Amino acid sequence: MPKKKKILLRAYIVFAAMFAVAPASNAMHIMEGYLPAGYCVAWGVICLPFLIAGFISLRNKVKENRRNLILIAMSGAFIFVISSLKIPSVTGSCSHMTGTGLGAILFGPASVSVLGIIVLVFQAVLLAHGGLTTLGANTFSMAIAGPLVSFGIYKLCCHTKVNRKAAIFLAAFLGDIFTYCVTSIQLALAYPSEAGGVAASAVKFLGVFAPTQLPLAVIEGILTVVIMIGLETYAKPELKSIGFLRDTPGKQPPCLHERIFAGQRTANDSCRELSEVSRDRIGEAKHPYPIDRKEA
Amino acid sequence: MLLIDKLSYQSKLRYVNASEKLVYALLTLVLCVLSRSVKVAVLVFAVNGVLTVGKGGIPLFRYIKLFMIPLAFLAAGTAAVMINVSRTPMDAFALPAGEWYITGSNEGIRRGLRLCVTALSAVSSLYFLSLNTVMTDILCSCRKLHFPPLLTELMLLIYRFIFVLFETASSITVSQQSRLGNRGFKTRIRSFGKLGSSLFILALKRSSTLYDAMESRCYDGSIRVLSREQPAKAGEIAVIALYGAVLVLVWLLCG
Repeated sequence: MPKKKKILLRAYIVFAAMFAVAPASNAMHIMEGYLPAGYCVAWGVICLPFLIAGFISLRNKVKENRRNLILIAMSGAFIFVISSLKIPSVTGSCSHMTGTGLGAILFGPASVSVLGIIVLVFQAVLLAHGGLTTLGANTFSMAIAGPLVSFGIYKLCCHTKVNRKAAIFLAAFLGDIFTYCVTSIQLALAYPSEAGGVAASAVKFLGVFAPTQLPLAVIEGILTVVIMIGLETYAKPELKSIGFLRDTPGKQPPCLHERIFAGQRTANDSCRELSEVSRDRIGEAKHPYPIDRKEA
Repeated sequence: MLLIDKLSYQSKLRYVNASEKLVYALLTLVLCVLSRSVKVAVLVFAVNGVLTVGKGGIPLFRYIKLFMIPLAFLAAGTAAVMINVSRTPMDAFALPAGEWYITGSNEGIRRGLRLCVTALSAVSSLYFLSLNTVMTDILCSCRKLHFPPLLTELMLLIYRFIFVLFETASSITVSQQSRLGNRGFKTRIRSFGKLGSSLFILALKRSSTLYDAMESRCYDGSIRVLSREQPAKAGEIAVIALYGAVLVLVWLLCG
């Protein structure tokens, strides 16, 4: 082996070792300035119809009851916070949830598209994850494609009476995987390989990001299940009182966002009961955190 | 909690007109991405660095550390652009692996490096905006640029609620840690799940009480706050325009 090649080989080993301990494995945000201008605009245009649909649906919800605006804003902040908290990971590296699956299951894909783009703007400006020029591409992969898949799978599983936990896990897991695939394809379209074109390039990007994204997707799936189970445990009496969550066997409860935005009942009623429920729970000393001792 | 947000309040350029800063950042960003030329990128990177660290007074150490955030993505992405796996070796380097070669071409390496430089200088433009402009100012100038009012309202509310929820989340995390809630992987998962679900319940509850509080203070769909007006100075606008022209010239003449 000639000397030059040896040096190169060593450089590769160092490079590979660097990857093995790469500290930050964020969700797949394409970084600022990474896509050529044409692609930035094109992905933005592709996002537009989804965003307009989401915007109209949000506007209708707000028109119906202005209280919903605060609820929607709180949901957006919730998605941002949950996606910026460090999550437990196997390797000890610092990683974050995407929150797409959870958002889609809770709020539905239409709301998530608009909430998603706002959250992505905040992530770009406040956390330096993603960027302003790549906003269109990131919105498409993380706020439109991923949530749509999550929501579709969740609905499908609801109808086919698959185990609830499995349904939630699959929705979040596959939504994440789909986001990762879409991002890789976006990158591949912008940077086709010299040997093999777009397809080869897509495989390369998928391979490069797989070590961080696959474990992340599994963990995100598990976490979404745990969160949803927690929600259904602590908010169940309230959901029952609205009359959506029934004990009749074989009937799957509708998705939470339908219950929340059900219309006839304002969010205030739900929340008031919810707070009473949580108060009761504290009385029973079952809730792990003192939720509102101060107010109570 | 949010380092960039905290730094933006300390910046000495905070009280410069927000629209000016927004236009400057977007202009350099667009020129960087459009031109993809190394010279423009280096110029933008240097000027942004001087403005943010020198004029804005952001600590250099923090500034450098912030560039580490996108580094993982940059390294992985650029490696994928530069390195090919093919049956025929290319001109720059080739490592045989069985019948295949891990290989790359000079053109590919050049492209990858140019991409790195462009991306980093684009990030520096983004940092100029986010480290020197307070989010509420950005939203104010968005309102002046006639964004849909529902959208700006939503963004303002979300920005406010982020801190409310962060505070709740961090106190829950502290109490979890003090009760050994992060002992093993399984407990960590369970703790995080409980954190998430109680955060959501709390968010719902708080949104309701907040609305009551706001409505009792005559909330009618938009929060109107007095913003301190920092009129755009003609000189600054001229400098920004001149700088843009110089960048375009550098792009067209030197490529």
